[in-house]
Amino acid sequence: MTTTTTRPEAPAAARPARAARPRPGVLFTGLAAVVLGVAAAAPWLLAPADPDAIDLAATLQPPSPTHWFGTDEIGRDLYTRVVHGAGQSLTIGVGAAAVALLLAVLLALAATLAPGPVATATDRVIDVLFAFPTLLLALLLVSVLGPAPQTLVVAVGVGVAPGYARMVRAQLLGARRSPYVEAATALGHRRTRIVARHVLPNALRPLVAVFALSVGQCVVWASSLSFLGLGVAPPASEWGALLEAGRAYVTVAGWLVVLPGLAIVALAVTATALGRALQSHLEPGE
Amino acid sequence: MLERLRAPAVPEDAIAVRPTPARLLLAGLTAALLSPVTACTTGPRVEPAALVAPAAASDTIVYGHQQEPPCVYGGWIEQGYLSGQILDNVVALDDDGRVVPWLAESWTVAPDGLTWTFRLRRGPTFSDGTPVDAAAVAANFEYWSTGGNSTVQAWIGGYFDAARALDDRTVAVRLSRPYPRFAENMTQPYFGLQSPRALATRSEEENCTAPIGSGPFVVERWNRGSDIQLVRRADYDWAPANAQHSGPAHVARVDWRFVADPTARTAALRSGELDAMYDVPAFEWAGLEAEGYALARYVTGGRPQQISFNTERGPFTDQRVRQAFALSLDRRGAVEAVGKGVIPYDGNGPVSRSTPAYDERAAARYGHDPTAAAALLDEAGWHPGPDGVRTRDGHPLEVVFPYAVNRTVNQDGVAIIQALQQQAGTVGFRVRLVPYPPSAAAAGAYSGPGDYDLMIGYWTAVNAGILHVNWRRDLPDAPNKANSAFYDDPALEDLILRANSEADPDRQAELYRSAQRYIADRALSIGVYDRLSTLAVKPGLRGVRQEQSQGGPIFHDAHFA
Amino acid sequence: MTRISPDQSRWWRRWAGRAGSAVVVVWGAATVAFLAQLAQPGDRATAVLNLRTGQTQERSPDELAPINAEYGFDRSAPAQYLEYLTGLLRGDLGTSYQQHRPVWDVVSEQLPGTLALTGTTLMLAWVLMLAWVLLTAGRGRRIGGWGAAVDSVLASLPQYWLGVVLLLVFAFGLGWFPVVGGTGPVRIVLPALTLALPLAGFLAQSTRTEFERVLEQPFVLSARLRGSGDLAVRLRHVLRHAALAPLTLTGWALGATISGAVIVETVFARRGIGRTLVTAVESQDLPIVTGIVVLTAVAYVVINLVLDALYPLLDPRVTP
Repeated sequence: MTTTTTRPEAPAAARPARAARPRPGVLFTGLAAVVLGVAAAAPWLLAPADPDAIDLAATLQPPSPTHWFGTDEIGRDLYTRVVHGAGQSLTIGVGAAAVALLLAVLLALAATLAPGPVATATDRVIDVLFAFPTLLLALLLVSVLGPAPQTLVVAVGVGVAPGYARMVRAQLLGARRSPYVEAATALGHRRTRIVARHVLPNALRPLVAVFALSVGQCVVWASSLSFLGLGVAPPASEWGALLEAGRAYVTVAGWLVVLPGLAIVALAVTATALGRALQSHLEPGE
Repeated sequence: MLERLRAPAVPEDAIAVRPTPARLLLAGLTAALLSPVTACTTGPRVEPAALVAPAAASDTIVYGHQQEPPCVYGGWIEQGYLSGQILDNVVALDDDGRVVPWLAESWTVAPDGLTWTFRLRRGPTFSDGTPVDAAAVAANFEYWSTGGNSTVQAWIGGYFDAARALDDRTVAVRLSRPYPRFAENMTQPYFGLQSPRALATRSEEENCTAPIGSGPFVVERWNRGSDIQLVRRADYDWAPANAQHSGPAHVARVDWRFVADPTARTAALRSGELDAMYDVPAFEWAGLEAEGYALARYVTGGRPQQISFNTERGPFTDQRVRQAFALSLDRRGAVEAVGKGVIPYDGNGPVSRSTPAYDERAAARYGHDPTAAAALLDEAGWHPGPDGVRTRDGHPLEVVFPYAVNRTVNQDGVAIIQALQQQAGTVGFRVRLVPYPPSAAAAGAYSGPGDYDLMIGYWTAVNAGILHVNWRRDLPDAPNKANSAFYDDPALEDLILRANSEADPDRQAELYRSAQRYIADRALSIGVYDRLSTLAVKPGLRGVRQEQSQGGPIFHDAHFA
Repeated sequence: MTRISPDQSRWWRRWAGRAGSAVVVVWGAATVAFLAQLAQPGDRATAVLNLRTGQTQERSPDELAPINAEYGFDRSAPAQYLEYLTGLLRGDLGTSYQQHRPVWDVVSEQLPGTLALTGTTLMLAWVLMLAWVLLTAGRGRRIGGWGAAVDSVLASLPQYWLGVVLLLVFAFGLGWFPVVGGTGPVRIVLPALTLALPLAGFLAQSTRTEFERVLEQPFVLSARLRGSGDLAVRLRHVLRHAALAPLTLTGWALGATISGAVIVETVFARRGIGRTLVTAVESQDLPIVTGIVVLTAVAYVVINLVLDALYPLLDPRVTP
């Protein structure tokens, strides 16, 4: 999904001084971010067991003190698998968001700063790609490239890129028309210098926040592809793959679907909250 | 809602079948409103009653099936299940595995075993009015042998020579080599007869969506992505000899729904939205049985769900490595844990336990013995490496194991495969699983010698003749793409050919058994579990049978109690 | 003879430009779809043959020759492209490899289900979003904060997960809704809710920012001073301005619900474009995939043209 939460034109008046005292929301976000970070970087700290170890004598066990999140159809501990899957889900989300933004910036730069015909052509390319629903673009790419984690990164990145390209393009155009650029032009500065000194920094600064926001969206999209059976190969415990595998057992072992889903929601919400916090820090005038 | 605009797609009486509370209430209300009218009429005015549902309720079976094939008729088992409702065969298979009359009332084999003469029943017609005569049977053989059905070709290729109508009701099929189980193979739904006129005059699309057969039902409408509506032929009177009755089907129609998700299918059966469903998830079996549903389980004959080793390239060209892999697995443990006692473990790779001439010794050839596996690997030069993966000359013992998700392997299968992956890992194999989507499967991906080390798959059949389909050599001038081990051995092929043409049943069975042991001894293929065709039927519905060659449901005898 | 005023001619030029870029978008989408066909792994004729027979094998040239001839796979890529484009101009989307039917027939019989789903989803999302924003925006930091938190949680819900959970609770568990069958309004509730909840959260995020900004505008204060009640102010003055942002998004969302339809139709076993698309991608029935791509692009440009035309009516600041 594209995000419109970045609204450079929104006047500062709309947001009375926030971020002064730490609020429960901020604390919660911070805590969630730390837990996710630890799970991604050093999963064995939270879950020392082998995430792929099977136990054929304890299949489909409900959550209990020994298995906090229960076990799956071949007796693997779901808690361990969720923790160890965090890294993979996050890597795919961050990678896809990076691909998306990189592509978006390149397209937007070409569409706004390149010479006339190239800019117009790129504009149309963005329009064409934007007309493709995200999932459709991703599905086509997966069917061309074959399912693999790298494919997920590329497919989701390319899938969500057009929306961001539009946003970056709007920001570049806005920055180019801004008073300080007009002033610099009036002062006779060279075009390249104006672009490098004024247009780019102002237009691209909000992207730091957008990046955090899009990580959340990319995790959700990537897990959607996993859900359609186009994700990573077992026994990897990427969260979307966990959900997909658990769906068959949903009536007898609901935890196999509910808990990994909650992990995805938590990650997406945390990324969004982080992005918003960054946004209010970075936006000019706040 | 736009949904409503499509109302005619689902006939009213079909809707009325599912007695959800709201609908019962509605039916009750309508009945109450109409009752004064019906009370006044003295004669048997059926029409209003038919509109009020309860009478019509017992007239439609709503059946939930798993996969939606592209065409009704074809070479895929999912097509066989569907075309079996619409097309009749020359002969049928009864519950004891005997070939019984259907469109043919009798048949004979010439002493040389080469000419089969079928004497047809008088009277059957295709639903377009064309008579089912000897010329029609000959025309269908002609159609099959020229590519009309790939599975039929796999069976009769190398044996079929020509089919000729001797008179109106007598057709002679000439083979190039004796094949005593020829008629048995003809009971499979792929051998269903179509109207030669329809084949010649109708478009490919028409024959795809609504083939013209002589069966008890005809296709009324295919709502793609949702259901196929089958309606009964009122003049049907030529059911196979093993049917409970010969006349038209008891129910007026079958609403054949496609519900891919097993969870949704089971829930829909429980909520009364479905009268019967196909492919019951293993963990639901005991619960449904306790709730009073009739459950039917058919173990498909032919090749079970088995793992073939690539014998042309990679580590499994070494027989010791193949045997080590087989010994490293606790296949029974994995299948029983996931299969919950419903999915049977089958150690025999070449043929499944429901196939005549099944060999127990081949099935029991490899148990779970990690120590022996390790010893074999040591002997073959694969020594333990630092990360638990064995190596030889610096190469890790990594093997590629692709499988077609939701096509040849279902969710239970994927769970079993992952358990096997872990077990093989404990003796030093690194098994890389590659689930590939149906699109890749369709494009023929992962089917060449360079694409995999291990391949899982099944192939349904009536008899051990499947050995010829799967183990015939893959030669440049006679390719056999069904030989997934790429095993090229004239001795094995000769053994199977002798078995196929052996007229004496006992000697034939012994030949088939030795072929299975030949394959097991060399660890070319190991069995994992038997492919099942399962049905759950709600208590009020009686007489749903399972067809005996492939296990599909038969609704001709079915009726509501 | 009527003279065309400069205003009118500007109007015409603007719309000619818009129509032109609409055509370019559709052409571009068709081209991308065609290229995706060419880029598919494996041989197309093999795929067609395997689909017809239910096998997954390599094929010999002898087997493939008739298929290649039938579909023209043996001709050069530019020749195929040209034929594909001229077909599109005639309104011919091609023939399904699997079903042997015109793609248009396949798609048009699946369209009503998806349209019903999309329409219901949009309505539901707007109703939920408006109610929630009207109720919580500009009500002080605590309530507003909770409101915004719910927005972002809703917007982060993965559709497939929400769908499965809704099914689990309301269909399998409570039995309030049918699982696979059902007709009319009842069966659309859960699928539409699955798509509408995240969409509502998403729309609410942008509406809320705008809503809170407009609440502080002078004209709102003056309306309050004139004695208008709180609800009246919110509905009449604030909402009208704040609704513009989500309205533009709705144009995009309408196109994007096809992504949602892919998921929801799979989860709920509904007929529709989304499920047809997944099946077609899975089975490499490329004419159907490209047909849906082209139709989606057409729908997208039409919706955007309509929104462009509507925009001036809603926002007095924009001149037509």
